[in-house]
Amino acid sequence: MDLQSMKFAKSAVVAVIAAMSGNALADGGFGNLNFSGFLRFESAYKLGGDENPFNQGGNLFNGVAVERSGGIPPSEVGLFNDVETRQVAETDNDFNLMYVRGRLDLGYKISSNFNLIGSVRAIFDPVIYDEFNPRQVDSQACCNFYQEPNYFEYAIEGGGRANPMEWAGRDYMVDIPTLYVDYQNGPLLIRAGNQQIAWGQALFFRVLDVPNGLDFRRHSILDFASEEYSDKRVPALGLRVSYQLSESWELDSFAQKFQSTIYSNANTPYNVIASQFTVRDYYDDYSDKINYGARIRGSIGDFGVQAIYAYRYNPDGVFRWTKSDVNRGLPGELPNVIPGLTDNLGNILQGVVDLLGGSIPATGAILAQTPFEVDPTGVHSAEEWFTYAAMARLDAREGLNASIEDFPATALLLAQPVDSDEAARRELDLFFQLSGGLRGHIERQYFRERVFGLGTSYVVLGEPGSFLDQLIINLEATYVPDRKFTNITLGQKFIEHDEWTTALVMEKYHRFTQAFPATYFVFQYMHKSESDIFGRHLSGFGATPEESISTTGGIDHGSNYLVLAFQQPFPSLVWRADFAALYDAEGGLLLQPAVRWKPNGNFTVEAFYNYIDTVSGNPNSNALSSAEWADELALRVSYQF
Amino acid sequence: MHIRKYDFNYSRRMFMEKTLKGIASAGVLAPMWPLIANGADISKAYPDELLSIEMYTKGKIKPGDFITAANVDVVKDLLDPISYMQVKEMGRRIEIVESVKDASVLFPNAFLEATLKNQGKAEIGADGNIYAPGKKAWIGGLPFPDPKTGEEVIANITLSWGRHDYCQYAIRQWDIAPDGSEAYQYDFVWAELQATGRLDGTVFQNKADMLRFQSVWFTAPNDIGGTAFLSSWHYDQNKFPDLYGYLPAFKRVRQFPTNQRFEPLVPGVTWFLSDAWAAGDPMLTWGNYKIVGRQPMLGAVAGNFSGSKKNWEAGTHGGPKGKTFWDSKMQLVPECIVLEAEPTGYPRSPVGKKRIWIDTRNQLFVAYNTFDRRGDVWKSFEAGWSRYEDGGTVIKDANGNPDWSWTYLHSHDVQSNRMSRIMHTESCSGGYKSELSAGSDDVYNKFMTTTAIQRLGT
Repeated sequence: MDLQSMKFAKSAVVAVIAAMSGNALADGGFGNLNFSGFLRFESAYKLGGDENPFNQGGNLFNGVAVERSGGIPPSEVGLFNDVETRQVAETDNDFNLMYVRGRLDLGYKISSNFNLIGSVRAIFDPVIYDEFNPRQVDSQACCNFYQEPNYFEYAIEGGGRANPMEWAGRDYMVDIPTLYVDYQNGPLLIRAGNQQIAWGQALFFRVLDVPNGLDFRRHSILDFASEEYSDKRVPALGLRVSYQLSESWELDSFAQKFQSTIYSNANTPYNVIASQFTVRDYYDDYSDKINYGARIRGSIGDFGVQAIYAYRYNPDGVFRWTKSDVNRGLPGELPNVIPGLTDNLGNILQGVVDLLGGSIPATGAILAQTPFEVDPTGVHSAEEWFTYAAMARLDAREGLNASIEDFPATALLLAQPVDSDEAARRELDLFFQLSGGLRGHIERQYFRERVFGLGTSYVVLGEPGSFLDQLIINLEATYVPDRKFTNITLGQKFIEHDEWTTALVMEKYHRFTQAFPATYFVFQYMHKSESDIFGRHLSGFGATPEESISTTGGIDHGSNYLVLAFQQPFPSLVWRADFAALYDAEGGLLLQPAVRWKPNGNFTVEAFYNYIDTVSGNPNSNALSSAEWADELALRVSYQF
Repeated sequence: MHIRKYDFNYSRRMFMEKTLKGIASAGVLAPMWPLIANGADISKAYPDELLSIEMYTKGKIKPGDFITAANVDVVKDLLDPISYMQVKEMGRRIEIVESVKDASVLFPNAFLEATLKNQGKAEIGADGNIYAPGKKAWIGGLPFPDPKTGEEVIANITLSWGRHDYCQYAIRQWDIAPDGSEAYQYDFVWAELQATGRLDGTVFQNKADMLRFQSVWFTAPNDIGGTAFLSSWHYDQNKFPDLYGYLPAFKRVRQFPTNQRFEPLVPGVTWFLSDAWAAGDPMLTWGNYKIVGRQPMLGAVAGNFSGSKKNWEAGTHGGPKGKTFWDSKMQLVPECIVLEAEPTGYPRSPVGKKRIWIDTRNQLFVAYNTFDRRGDVWKSFEAGWSRYEDGGTVIKDANGNPDWSWTYLHSHDVQSNRMSRIMHTESCSGGYKSELSAGSDDVYNKFMTTTAIQRLGT
């Protein structure tokens, strides 16, 4: 659409809406209705050669010959040796992301007390990616979106849409992130409808920002850092009531429909859940739940203070093994007959099957009662299992044990718990040899928690022009008793522990030179006592492909993160340079230098580079290595109207 | 007409003498303020050549003429250097109108009444702040209608920017690129609520420690719309205002550092917070106030309301594409104080000095230039003022008098040759209308609290 056409379209839309609303624009001025919007092309060009290892096409074992040595559980002795090569074709993408986004914002002043605010967001992805092709390996992986990749739909058990204000398909999504009515009367403000709620002074670190979950489908956490989570926070239907108690004290409260954090689907560019897993999301069981919260904010002397309380379902949810319900037996008349698989093993298994009164395919009924599904897109070797368990911050050995102990049907396949990594490898290799690949099914559940938070702020008054003058210092902390975390074994019993999250935020403007406007700085430090920045329990951090977390031990001193970010506008603000660095004290580093160019009112161009690396230590000990593959240059070109 | 008792240069000598001797009373032939108090006609305070552009220019320019590149040299000494350059080099045309003799048209009626009622009651305290008797906060109107020092001059502007207890300006701004194109366009609302120094004789909600609440919220375009800031000014002019902002990217109200008052707020804009009303900062955060001269000037002090035009938007002209300047009307202002000040509280400010030409009649600026740290002229911030009557369109105050406010602004960065052309309009995007009174509206809760800017932000 050229500019002329867009102007025409805008005029037409104005006319139609004005006519519909019965409020023609005021002659000579602006009426009660206004709208604006933008169209934006967004892309992220890969600068490195790595594919996302959590996707089938980027699996580290694709095309790699791996020695396997199956043994009879729980023995550490390898009896059946072979070499396996994962057959899924490696994908080769030039772009991590490319789509077009549009947004239309509407405002309608109903009366001096009532306002209606709404917006529509639409994204179309032309899917230019080199995608995973399930037919290439004859995958029959069950459930939503484990066949052809789906970039936007959020699949939940039971079907239906998780968000009533969203409509999505494989390559598009349309949603209404904002639709609310404001009623203001004196110090009272009531906002009813679909809305985001954000709290706290800290940026990126979500300490007091607890009301809403995040949506990672749109460029995950690697979007333009200066926008923080404005595009990520999941809006929800709800009621927000604010009351200005005095000039400096404000009470804020909400009751809002629970909406979960949304992760990218398997085999889409920014997926973070290993695609050998099948996620069964039981959000539907919680979709009628309501989150509540309140905050009071004000000042005492020179100190700003705020306190929050939220009684909410943790939107991130927790995961655990679940029955696959997939009745698909071990392949072949004799299971996976491969060189090295001895008659003994075949006889043993045949005996089991005979006991069941059936033949080899009857193992499907057993497997359906376990967390596993036979499919070539699953795990093929103990080495792959251990590698990905470490990457997913899970316990490879105890994860196997939990899948056996929590699902008695596994005993029918002679599976047994083990007490060493070596025995786990023998057992795992055996079943991978028999199956030709096993997918693991996990379910996602949600739990209520109480969040207690405090924050205080102080503005330093120093010598005018000094670096400390007008430095704003904020300290924020939350305490969540009995918070539930995903067990690093994926066992049925979740980890439950009190968690403290604290952050120190310092920000200020400082002029270094007369020639340039002031530089805006933010320095932040965050400590979490139990989990990483994404909510994964730290007891699962630190494993290696060689050793499970049961052997290495996890992190028990909490997680620590540092942020240093700045914005440097150029004169007239036509250009702006941004930089953001996030450092995980365990050795992870995310750097995002960026430049923003706004040559005129209509067009904006933003380019930023995402660099993620482990600069020291074990990559599986820091939170950021999960996106280490994403070495990319992102470009966004916007036209606003 | 007066008898030509004095030669043509008498006024100039008088101004020089007053400046050198520190004599501060306005008026050449007689003190001006008693005349204003006694009916507002200032004719007897000045000789004819200071009240008639025709006489001043010895017939070369008359009311109804336009100042253009062809004749601007005749009035070069009546313009600040940037305005002169705009006319001489950029195609700006300025319509010349008769000088007003009735000073009351230069004020909102209630403000003039408060000024006259409270004259003589203000004093500067040991802490540099302005106090009414009993060391109370100022009680409304000009605290120093006939100022004697630079501090008194700047106090007259700072203590009440808009000269109403509440002002709400629906503003449209076009930022002109060096090639003359309209590169950016913004709609925003700027609102001021006086806590003290009020014309109704009250202290707003007993907030005697506050001077004003001021908020600004952008309503267009899309990427800026929803940005809102609340600035709460302490009465103590040594303190920086408290600043809270709602940025759409953050989706919440956050506290912001407030001492960076020399930064562009949005792309393309040339003015800083510090430029507002030529006194955008707490007055005691600047220093070295000096009255460096007195002189007549050309100023857009009246007749600049385009109420008969659509959305009160004046026509444009000049610059490479005919869009750089508002059509404006200027008149001979008989006496202006030339005030200079330095940003002593902002050692890293890019501004090294400001020079303000202030009309002695209403103590408002008719021209304002800033200079960079090298001493080079940097920007001009020129305002047009007017009673709000134009043809059949009259905006009246609560007592039925024609109201008064600013009408347009030219903020011209001559070093980058970018112009912000700003208009006080009837309404702007978002459905907000200009108001010069709160009426029965609860504007404090609507626009001046953190809850309010949470609502204004989207």
